Amino acid sequence: MLPRNQKNVFCMELAIETNNIKKYFDDIHAVDGIDLKIVKGSLCGILGPNGAGKTTTIRMLSTVLSPTSGDISVLGFDVKKEAREIKKRIGVCPQELVIYPRLTARENIHIIAQMHLMAKKDYKERTDELLGKMNLLERADSTVKGFSGGMKRRLNVLMAVVHEPELLFFDEPTAGLDPQARRVVWDFIRDFQEKGSTIILTTHSMEEADDLSDELIIIDRGKIIAQGTSDELKGKLGEGDIIEFRVKEIDKRNEIIERAKSLDYVQWGKEVGKHRIVINALDGLKRISEIMDVLEVKMEDMKIRKNTLEDVFLDLTGRRLRD
Amino acid sequence: MDVLRLWYLTIKNFKSMIRDKAQLLWLFGYPLIFVLLYRFTFEDGVFDIMAPGILIAGPTILIMQLATHFAEEKELGTLQRLVTTPVSRSTILLSGLLSQLIVGAIQIIIFMILELLLGVSPQNTAFISLLFFIPFLVTFSSLGFGLLLASVVKNAGSAGGIAWFIILPLQFLGGVVTNPPFLPFLPTALAVDSLRSVMEGIITFEAVGLKLIYIVIWGIGLSLLGILLFQRKTAIL
Repeated sequence: MLPRNQKNVFCMELAIETNNIKKYFDDIHAVDGIDLKIVKGSLCGILGPNGAGKTTTIRMLSTVLSPTSGDISVLGFDVKKEAREIKKRIGVCPQELVIYPRLTARENIHIIAQMHLMAKKDYKERTDELLGKMNLLERADSTVKGFSGGMKRRLNVLMAVVHEPELLFFDEPTAGLDPQARRVVWDFIRDFQEKGSTIILTTHSMEEADDLSDELIIIDRGKIIAQGTSDELKGKLGEGDIIEFRVKEIDKRNEIIERAKSLDYVQWGKEVGKHRIVINALDGLKRISEIMDVLEVKMEDMKIRKNTLEDVFLDLTGRRLRD
Repeated sequence: MDVLRLWYLTIKNFKSMIRDKAQLLWLFGYPLIFVLLYRFTFEDGVFDIMAPGILIAGPTILIMQLATHFAEEKELGTLQRLVTTPVSRSTILLSGLLSQLIVGAIQIIIFMILELLLGVSPQNTAFISLLFFIPFLVTFSSLGFGLLLASVVKNAGSAGGIAWFIILPLQFLGGVVTNPPFLPFLPTALAVDSLRSVMEGIITFEAVGLKLIYIVIWGIGLSLLGILLFQRKTAIL
């Protein structure tokens, strides 16, 4: 592994710093003025719905795409002028399963290690260690073509980390994995952070973002709409309980929300999708019968729970993450 | 340092290639069936007349192999993955071209050996190396055509199919399977003509040298065009 960047002492603490970066594809503003400051050694989750600009942001940070405008500094190096220096120090796990189907699992990892000019002895030992951690050692010498989707996904992750990069980009690393395999990948990512790597994780899984990230950035339509720790973001919604229910009278949802807001302990209410309403009420669980009386509506499929990041996103955009 | 990366990538390309049964069949089966069919379905004289064209059949097929290789890398996203490592884009491109050039050379050698075994006898054996060298020069034109095709197609399947729209005209109009060539300026036609001269023992500048210069111009022109277009289509935006 290369020594950490000693180039600019003033940037030592920041792994990534961007200034008003934009990426336009003709009329589409995929990223529209993003400022990031990501501290070295942290795990930063970028949360947002499909098409929000997460992958485009990652591609710019990892030197694959050039920004239309704005400046990017990664590990103290300028993305436009010093891309090769950045490439020596980063690992990228793309959203797609980018593997060579006719090579074995071991060979797939080796080719990335070889591109980083690792010593043969080192990458061979490291490959075995990594394959073992992801429960792939038994299939190490099988061609990847016959692997299940989950095995390919795990291999996709390993190819990003074999050279022990200082900065890791994981773009939806657990998409399509079963809960058990997802936990294995999460533990793996945590291990890397504990070793001192900076990790950028994009996801549209609130659970993943909540569970792994030190800090969260919520992106929508190419812009940052919220930033902070999970608790800070959820705290902005208030301390109340979330009551979510379905109503048949969809044209009366506004009226129902207004009725709910007349209660002094109801902090906010929103329409969701075609039939549902979400309200936030202090001590909502205790006061549910009172709320039901006031709303004078048949509440179907009702759920009462604590705030989640989904509610944060809903509050900010009026949409669900998966809408 | 990129020489080492070039070596690793070329080895990787070869491993991928030899583990693909369809590609292996093309590499060894195509020269074999092509030569045997020519030798045993026509009278003796026809095989001798067509021998120069048959030697150029290998390089033309390379268009499909190269286009499929690069289109597959595009389709799989592996080019983009490699771009995030310290390897340069030109090394990635060169590794693909190098592995296909070696495949092309192997095919030419197989064609050559089969022809010689089946009775083709050049008049002047002192220049027998030209029987390899001339088709090898044509492979550069094929690489250019292959890259041009790989630049515009979305996947390996399309590349394999569309390649025949280039290969067949080059073969039929360029004297590979017909004699004389319909379009004598094509690289295949120039190569067939010069090979025929070599086999007849006429080694002059006009009969061979000048045509080789034209073949080289075709090769350089098409390769540069192919590299530029492919880099543009797959470049970092």
